[in-house]
Amino acid sequence: MFKNYIKIAFRNLWKNRTFTALNVVGLTAAFGVAILLAMYAVFQLSFDRFHEHGDEIYQVYTEDSGLNGIEANTSKSEPFAAALKEEVAGVEKITRYVSTSVLLSQEDKQFGMSTAYVDPDFFNMFSFPIIKGDKTNPITSESSVVMTELAAKRIFGDEEPIGQTVSILRDEQQVPFTVTAIVKDFPNTSSMGFDIVLNFKSQNEHAYARTIGRWDMENHEVYMQLAESVQPEQFEKSTTDFTQLHYKNEIDNAKRDGFQPNAEGLYRQLKLLPLADVRFANFNQGQVTVSRTMPYLVLGISILILFIACVNFINMSIAKSAQRLREIGMRKTLGANKKQLFFQFWGESILVFLISIGLGILLAVFLLPHFQTLFKTQASLATLLNPSLLLVLILSVLLITLIAGGYPALLMSRLGTLQSLKGKLDVNGKNHLRNSLMVLQFGIAILLISGTLVLWDQVEFMRTKDLGFNKDQVIAFPLNGQLNDQQAIELLRNTLQDKPNIVSVTASNNILGLGKDGSRSTSVLGFEHHGRGVETHMVVVDADYIETLDLNIIEGRSFRKNLASDSLSVIINEAMAKQLNEDDILASQMDLDDAVYSVVGVIKDFNFQELDQTIAPMTLFALPNWNLRNVYVKVSSQNLEQAYTDVKAAWNAIEPNAEFQGSFLNENIDRTLRHERTMITMIGSGSILAIILSCIGLFAMSLLIVAQRKKEIGVRKIVGASVSAITILLTKDFLKLVVIAFLIASPIAWWAMSKWLQNYAYRIELNIWMFLGAGSIAVVIAMLTIAVKTIKAATSNPVESLRTE
Amino acid sequence: MQNILVSLNEATRTVNSGSNKVTLLDTINLNVEAGEFISLMGPSGSGKSTLLNCIGMLDHFTDGGYTFLGEPVHSMKEKNRAKLYKEYIGFVFQAYHLIDELTVYENIETPLLYKNIKSSERKAMVADMLDRFNIVGKKDLFPIQLSGGQQQLVGIARALIGQPKLILADEPTGNLNSKQSGEIMELFAQLNKEGVTIIQATHSESNAAYGSRIINLLDGKIV
Repeated sequence: MFKNYIKIAFRNLWKNRTFTALNVVGLTAAFGVAILLAMYAVFQLSFDRFHEHGDEIYQVYTEDSGLNGIEANTSKSEPFAAALKEEVAGVEKITRYVSTSVLLSQEDKQFGMSTAYVDPDFFNMFSFPIIKGDKTNPITSESSVVMTELAAKRIFGDEEPIGQTVSILRDEQQVPFTVTAIVKDFPNTSSMGFDIVLNFKSQNEHAYARTIGRWDMENHEVYMQLAESVQPEQFEKSTTDFTQLHYKNEIDNAKRDGFQPNAEGLYRQLKLLPLADVRFANFNQGQVTVSRTMPYLVLGISILILFIACVNFINMSIAKSAQRLREIGMRKTLGANKKQLFFQFWGESILVFLISIGLGILLAVFLLPHFQTLFKTQASLATLLNPSLLLVLILSVLLITLIAGGYPALLMSRLGTLQSLKGKLDVNGKNHLRNSLMVLQFGIAILLISGTLVLWDQVEFMRTKDLGFNKDQVIAFPLNGQLNDQQAIELLRNTLQDKPNIVSVTASNNILGLGKDGSRSTSVLGFEHHGRGVETHMVVVDADYIETLDLNIIEGRSFRKNLASDSLSVIINEAMAKQLNEDDILASQMDLDDAVYSVVGVIKDFNFQELDQTIAPMTLFALPNWNLRNVYVKVSSQNLEQAYTDVKAAWNAIEPNAEFQGSFLNENIDRTLRHERTMITMIGSGSILAIILSCIGLFAMSLLIVAQRKKEIGVRKIVGASVSAITILLTKDFLKLVVIAFLIASPIAWWAMSKWLQNYAYRIELNIWMFLGAGSIAVVIAMLTIAVKTIKAATSNPVESLRTE
Repeated sequence: MQNILVSLNEATRTVNSGSNKVTLLDTINLNVEAGEFISLMGPSGSGKSTLLNCIGMLDHFTDGGYTFLGEPVHSMKEKNRAKLYKEYIGFVFQAYHLIDELTVYENIETPLLYKNIKSSERKAMVADMLDRFNIVGKKDLFPIQLSGGQQQLVGIARALIGQPKLILADEPTGNLNSKQSGEIMELFAQLNKEGVTIIQATHSESNAAYGSRIINLLDGKIV
């Protein structure tokens, strides 16, 4: 029996090879892409899930009442962690955490190492297992260093690393550290990344020593492990006294300035953010928002694509069943019951699905390397190989097969014996299902296409927007060498001075966009001004900053060439000027703890942060001997490439051991749009696949409909219908479906896209043309798909089509 | 009574065509004894095929009684009815109705599959049948590769493989030329001699003459 089924299944599939091929191609593409997308989504969602105590670990942040409502703040002060553990019940373990990079030397070799400065509890909280060396107190000593296997291999090769001494550049001195332990290379689903781990106290003077005991200098993050018996909400409530005690000043000031308290009626409240949420949390816009939209969106696209391919399969199977009526009738006459027929037809579907899934997996394996480079992801198929997930996958494949294969099989097995023997099929009822499914298909395709168009528009808008500074002619790179910043800048200036294609050189402690090294920092300064609290971003700059970036001065002057004479001057942006609210802004002063600064100039607002934020108040300082992290070089516009090479050569001459990580500012801006670009590529390729699959379905349906209406076409021609009349007759039913799909999908797309655009402070206006564009793309493609077959049918000789009767 | 295979008592079949009720079979009374060879005759639309289909349980009477081998078919559940015809009835069609995707061998084998007969037994039975009909050499061909007469031969072989008590043949020679037609009718006569009850519907007087009894139908009534 089974053999018979298999045999007839293969023969049938072979007999209808056009349709089998269309189905297998469509399903293979859908399964292949769905596997990759699901893999990507699962990979994203599994970030930081490998920590054994992950469910009890939280990042501590505060909700502060500020000028613009509630602001979330993850930066904490030096005494905070210890005090919290001491004074509030429920803190099992706690660690401070700073991620940065240091220059490490071993013998005559130098390495840039990404570094985590943490407290000793770190290794007891997080699952970064130590495989060699001191497993109990690896970084209790301030002169120990722990490194990953990979880092150890890089530094020592095959030598035994434990007990070796390396030196790390700190405050311009080489400080020796002893390797005490090697930590296992962590999974690539870790958002914490480091090569080496050092004791928190081993940081430089500026970051640690000067902050000891000070509650007002916040420069690191804090993670804590909650006691198992304590609920996070309960813990948050129990910290009220702690906050009142240590942040009395801040709270009083907030009350005085008339800020709004948060939902709990507090002006400052400690909050806990679960470790698994940290990667998905957004601190940029007031309160913390945790959003996993991106991975779920990707998962959603993969489901939609599978759905489209399955709809094709269902539609084709049902339509094809008309050609198998006699077989069905005969089998019934020979004694087959419904169950047997169902299993026969379902078996055929399973066969097609098994082949497609097999090919789909092969396709996924084949595309994987491209996928990884395209989306800069380390997700691999191994991500999907965890038992429970695998079970879910197998179950969902079974379910898909059951529904997509089972539904047509059920319809066929239910047909009456005599009707099917006579070859009569009541088709009216089923067209509704077919039409709705096709509308859904094209609706999805149009939704994805318009999403792609809007997304692309927004990204282009952000990329090309005038940000208020010169991004085309300025190269920026991090000061990552051994020399101190001022020396390095001085040398660089001297080297580049005579070069005709270099306009000016400057430096600052912030970076515009995202540099090649991927590091960013912001400093926010709060102080009292005429009896109320004001906040400003603090950017410390070197000479020529304003000139290099072509910032516009609206009032007052720029810093002098002789920067030392301006060490007590500041230049503010318009937003800051508005906040200070002075009649004569150039006569105003800012009274900070250490000194009083005079405002000497006001610059036009420019986007020094990303475009999902409005321009915040900002102040430029010209402080001497400050830690300036990035150099900016403005070059002449003639030969940008040559200029880049010159700057690179100059830097290599000054710091032969440091890597040159320079890039033009417009590339930096582009880098900040990586997330959006990934989304465009995903949704874009999803929409291309969706439209192709929908068209495969449409093509197959047009083949079948033309075959079914062959006689009608013949009769119509005999009574005088023209070719164009018949083409229109055959095409219009399908086009109607696409138009309905457009009418349904556009409002949904509009709603979803306007919701998404809310995330951006600077955004495009939605206009009807983007959606009409998506609709017309769908209509044109659909029309081309069916044109071939229908025109051929319309031009065929009617005598031939009638003779078949 | 045991000899009576089929017994129809005022059996009627009506269909609704739009708002009209059309009577296809009108109060048919008929007894068929085992071993009979009945020819149903009548013009197109007289109800021959409907009567055959109803007796074969592919269709059902809307009124009246139908007893098959002493079992009341009219009050039976679909499932039992299917069991009954699977066991005792074989069909032969005018258009042969072979399954195109299956070879001659597989076509003949199919009814046995639905009866859950063991593979070795199946092989023996099919081999016997091929032998008896002299079509061993054609067993691996597909229906499309055979002539009409050969196809009908396979159709009859398929109907016989389940060793039915009753064969229902709906114009079995309607698509055949006179020579093939004669051969098929000889075969039916031969089978009837071997004890198989046959009811055939036909237009042809000469074919009807092979039967032991002729029943004439007109507008759904026996005349």
